[in-house]
Amino acid sequence: MNEDRKSILSLLAEGKITADEAERLITALERGRPAAAPSAETLPKGKAKYLRVMVDAREDGEPSRVNVRVPLQLLRAGVKLAALLPPPALNRANAELAKSGWPIDLTQLKPEQLEELIDHLHDVTVEVDDPAGTVRVFCE
Amino acid sequence: MIPQLVTVRFTRPRGRPVRIWIPVLLVVLVGAPILILAVLAGIVACLVYGIAVARALAGAWRLACALRGTRFDLAHGSTSVLVSIR
Repeated sequence: MNEDRKSILSLLAEGKITADEAERLITALERGRPAAAPSAETLPKGKAKYLRVMVDAREDGEPSRVNVRVPLQLLRAGVKLAALLPPPALNRANAELAKSGWPIDLTQLKPEQLEELIDHLHDVTVEVDDPAGTVRVFCE
Repeated sequence: MIPQLVTVRFTRPRGRPVRIWIPVLLVVLVGAPILILAVLAGIVACLVYGIAVARALAGAWRLACALRGTRFDLAHGSTSVLVSIR
């Protein structure tokens, strides 16, 4: 039995929710549960189309879930649009970044380099397992 | 092709889930006058800041087209929000 279902049943046992509410919560849980994320080994090796970010955690004793899917094409389009920024705007952004402790020179970032970075994103899998929750970032 | 449909779903504690389907093309048609004004304002801004207008418009169009397939699904306890662009 998973943790979410257990918490709902314990709330029911403690009389904090009614049987109807428990049923509704369990149904919502089953409906809302995303399909199991493929592990790094089972990911298809073809061209990745989406960047997925999945976070499962518990906050204030309640389960929290974030499931984001962003098309890689959107990242590419964003990079192309960002390449249109005029140098004065980039210089101002550099100054603000430096002020915040991030001394990055954005004028040195070329769109081709960012495109290459996006092209190689499908090789990247980030998995963080913590007692408080799990985070997975991967491409599919 | 630009996205056709945006689906928004809210689930509140002790409430029925609310699902809204937004047809993008219809919204674009209804909001065309405002959209035209926004595009004109964008063109003026590009000219003022020295940005290539054609490239900026092409970039914005590419960005809008690339939105298809985006999905945000956030849940906390029995509250959840889903935004899906298709």
